[in-house]
Amino acid sequence: MKTQLLFPFRFKRIGWMLLIPSAILGFFVIFFNFQASFLDCQVFAAYSGATGWLSENKAGIIENNITDEIAAILFIIGALLVAFSKEKQEDEFIAKTRLESLVWAVYVNYAILALCILLFYNMGFLTVMIINMFTILIFFIIRFYYILYRNKKSLGHEK
Amino acid sequence: MKNNLKVERAIKNITQEELARQIGVTRQAINSIELNKYVPSTILALKLSAYFGKTVNEIFLLEEAD
Repeated sequence: MKTQLLFPFRFKRIGWMLLIPSAILGFFVIFFNFQASFLDCQVFAAYSGATGWLSENKAGIIENNITDEIAAILFIIGALLVAFSKEKQEDEFIAKTRLESLVWAVYVNYAILALCILLFYNMGFLTVMIINMFTILIFFIIRFYYILYRNKKSLGHEK
Repeated sequence: MKNNLKVERAIKNITQEELARQIGVTRQAINSIELNKYVPSTILALKLSAYFGKTVNEIFLLEEAD
């Protein structure tokens, strides 16, 4: 059976090589405000108003440190490759596990977000939203590989 | 749905691993079907049927609840 919309297996390794360093970089960006000074540069902004949406139009070239942009983009690419590359041996059972894990990840992600909406305010909530951009993929990856690992383990040596 | 996969496998004296390899699926898939945890697609059912030389109805059986 042909599985559509997945990357070839070899992309999984590339995915991990992008995901792990960008996750570490992202961690320091979010929790320690890390910025590599050589990444200060001018970027084009479609919108960069500080207050309400479209209340002040600040489109154009702006000064920005792109450490966080790089970390986020590399993490998204890496996590997508890890999440949606085919397994070494891909079959319909793996496909079903993948789909179930995706549904599970969406539920868990929004359950936690709903809880955070009630518990976090102001800048704390902004941090929650930033992290929430990535958690759906993180939850999916954890759940999918855990289920595959558990299945493999439960096989044992029975004939 | 019930199935006789394990019995058919015993008759042919073939391991889950080997059957999986012959059919082109993972061993987890074969194991989950035998444990009634997974209902295979029609394609996989037909492949198993062809492999064992039996009709699909002889390997897979509907239950009351289905």
